[in-house]
Amino acid sequence: MNVEGPQPGYELIRPRRVVAGPLEARFRLRPGERPLVGPGEAVVRGAPLAERIRDPRTAVVASAGGASAKPGSWWTAAPGRRSRGDGAEQGELLFRSGGRWRIAAGDPAQPLEAPFGGIVRDVQPGTGLTLRTPARGLLGLDVLAGPSTGHLHVLAGRDGHVRASQIDVGAAGAILVVGSHVDAEAITRARAVGVRGIVVAGLGVKERREVVASEQRSQAGAHGLPPFAILVLEGAIGRPIASPFMAVLEVLEGRMVAIIDEPACLAIEDPDLELPRPAPLLVRVTAGPLAGFEGSWAGLAGRHRFAGNVLLEAGLVRFGGRAPVAVPLGDLERFV
Amino acid sequence: MTRLSPALAIVDAGGATTSVGLVGRIGSRWRLLGSLAGPAGTPEAALLAIVAARVRAADPDLAAELSLDSGRLDSVPRLMARSRPPATLVVLAASRRAVGDLSAVAVRTGWRVQGASTESHDPREMSELALGQGVRAVLIGAGDPPGPDERPALDDLAALGGAVARRRPELQILLSGAIRGRRAWRESLGADPPGDPARIVEVPAAVRRRGDGDGLRQSLERLFAEPGDGRVAMRAATESLADLLDRRVELVEVGLDGGTRVLAEPGVAGAPPTSIGIVTAEGALVPPDPDDETVDRVLAWTTGSLDRHRMGDRLRELRGQPWVDAAGDGARLRLAAASAALARMAGLTPALNAMAVPDVTVVAGGAFAVAPASATALAVADTIRRTGVTQLTWDHARLLGPIGTIEDPAERRALLADLLHDGLVPLGTIVVTGNLGVRRGAGRHDRPAGRLTLAGDGREIQRDLIAGDLAFVDLPPGRQAEARFAFAERVRFGRRTRQVSVPVSGGIVGLMLDLRDVPLRLPERRDRRRTLLADWSALAWPGDAR
Repeated sequence: MNVEGPQPGYELIRPRRVVAGPLEARFRLRPGERPLVGPGEAVVRGAPLAERIRDPRTAVVASAGGASAKPGSWWTAAPGRRSRGDGAEQGELLFRSGGRWRIAAGDPAQPLEAPFGGIVRDVQPGTGLTLRTPARGLLGLDVLAGPSTGHLHVLAGRDGHVRASQIDVGAAGAILVVGSHVDAEAITRARAVGVRGIVVAGLGVKERREVVASEQRSQAGAHGLPPFAILVLEGAIGRPIASPFMAVLEVLEGRMVAIIDEPACLAIEDPDLELPRPAPLLVRVTAGPLAGFEGSWAGLAGRHRFAGNVLLEAGLVRFGGRAPVAVPLGDLERFV
Repeated sequence: MTRLSPALAIVDAGGATTSVGLVGRIGSRWRLLGSLAGPAGTPEAALLAIVAARVRAADPDLAAELSLDSGRLDSVPRLMARSRPPATLVVLAASRRAVGDLSAVAVRTGWRVQGASTESHDPREMSELALGQGVRAVLIGAGDPPGPDERPALDDLAALGGAVARRRPELQILLSGAIRGRRAWRESLGADPPGDPARIVEVPAAVRRRGDGDGLRQSLERLFAEPGDGRVAMRAATESLADLLDRRVELVEVGLDGGTRVLAEPGVAGAPPTSIGIVTAEGALVPPDPDDETVDRVLAWTTGSLDRHRMGDRLRELRGQPWVDAAGDGARLRLAAASAALARMAGLTPALNAMAVPDVTVVAGGAFAVAPASATALAVADTIRRTGVTQLTWDHARLLGPIGTIEDPAERRALLADLLHDGLVPLGTIVVTGNLGVRRGAGRHDRPAGRLTLAGDGREIQRDLIAGDLAFVDLPPGRQAEARFAFAERVRFGRRTRQVSVPVSGGIVGLMLDLRDVPLRLPERRDRRRTLLADWSALAWPGDAR
């Protein structure tokens, strides 16, 4: 149904894509992390894509494969020969200076595993690799940590707030939908009981920092915790999850999904799964006193004066059966 | 193009919003018929259709004359500028000092700069930074000749740079100083390096004792420049404006991804107009990942009681959706962020700060798009502080960037001449005096430091001048007046004087009398600072007491 023609101004509202696909997922690699796949290679979910390292460092080696050695290639010490100096047995060649190679090395950590099946499109050691997949993604704003996979479990409604006491060991291995916002204690507990990920509307700067610090500690530890990721759908301020997104999440309950960060999304591997589509003319208020409310578009309202003596282009939105209300156009979003 | 069509769409596609202005040829000149902005990504055709519909509703005959029927809008030619998002430049050097010197120059360009030195980072970290996905160029620099702090690590730096160039054939590599001549560079790059050989270029070194690195800055600007870039084009438009008005014109612009500060002077004796200034990513309303320093700088301009974390949340939201929450508290936050951005740009342009106040100051950019005019004037007066008188105007329809993309100076000047009065809204006149004495309430009584006589249209208004005072005097758009200042002691007013008489012109704001310190000194204590800012802010946000 074409809803844009007869509704003047509807296309002036910022469109927000709910689901995109097929995905081309990118995974960042740091120097010293060894790709285990090559371009064109087909991988299944769980296949190792690269070796991660912890405690990354620079080591110096005297010789590294002679004239054929080049920056970016992998070096392994010859068997039976004890390494000298930095003690690195293997690593990624960085550059040669003064007759000796600098290599990026580190202790092996948990490998990067493919969160879904696909075909490796591009591998750049030290930079990243790209995996093309028929999977679709529920698009978010950004992702912390990850990637991670698990069964989706909706723990709270779209405007819910999950506390630490609500997360127990039964959620181990799951990716939890926690509603509008989540506090740092709940995230810490989720991490501790083996939750694989969290989907939340808003995550504040404070919680964000604690997650990043926790992730760094986890990576530095000899016995790293299982992968964990947080998908932030909206931004830094808690507000209800938009209903088109919540509808998709509810359909995915119990299914295997993955959180990846490029693009920031919840990947849905099943290409045949029917996902709900947004209602025609649905708009959502993203800021101001009506933030989080959803209604139907009723046309342009022209320039209106709003709080702070500010003149803004506005649109009319009908909330339920009430008379239309003028809302700044910039504060509205529609779903595609 | 502009000579043939009766109508023209002027499109400024910024990082946050897209603005479309519809101009039509009425009689012998172009007039602005209307403009509309929407969030970035809004189809310009949709914006144009709404503006054209409004013109049709207001004046059907004019719309018919200009062929603004809904079915024919596709044939309306576009004059378009697009603000290019900053690309990341990684600066690598062999000492902290060298990285600092190079970065100090690079931040005064459109590049977003990240730096690392062999003193502060190990080779793996430097490689990680340079090989990062979002990096577009790597500047590898050393002094020429290299300083004693650089020499020990220069070969390692050159070899690392060569390896990066070899591994990322799409990267632009900029060599500054004595890098290309190093054997380590040649050996690491190899005899037949991949990629276009032209991507590896030499740029001048940045050495503090040899000036301010203008050669390096110009090289970086050239590499960043792209045809149709709105921010770069504004410089050309400002030059044309200065030439047209025969006045010194300063442009200050704050957008989502960067800012511009340019001072243009009219040409003398047939010479073309000239300009100095910067386009910088540091002038962005909010950087992509606002850190504590950014948060503190914005907090310094706010009157609310947000803590650091909550302000960080608000800035993240503003960065992610800059078109949202433009009313109420959101408008104030936006202005506080814009003030912080203007202050950053003022800090990067000491040469402009030292020059005489321009005759005309043009405010542009999405950051000011929806702010009350008096709040915009206050933000400019707070941050770009020089004593003297300047007329303040606002590029409300965002025409300057697109007009600046016209390559022919004569055609650019002609279009600007036609649209000058429609496109630039007079906000009023800002008068700033310095050395007026101690701020009111800080020890001395409110004894007048002088007197203002404002004469125009047969009327005369007199007003006492009190040190530290800030006031808006009503002077409507289109009105001219003569402002005569008589001070009890010699003050700074462009020069040191006790009596001065200057012409002033009206606007939405009127005459803004700013008798505060130059530079502005604010209390260190946060509560006192907020109180003072709130007092000033109450004048700039009429009818919105908070």
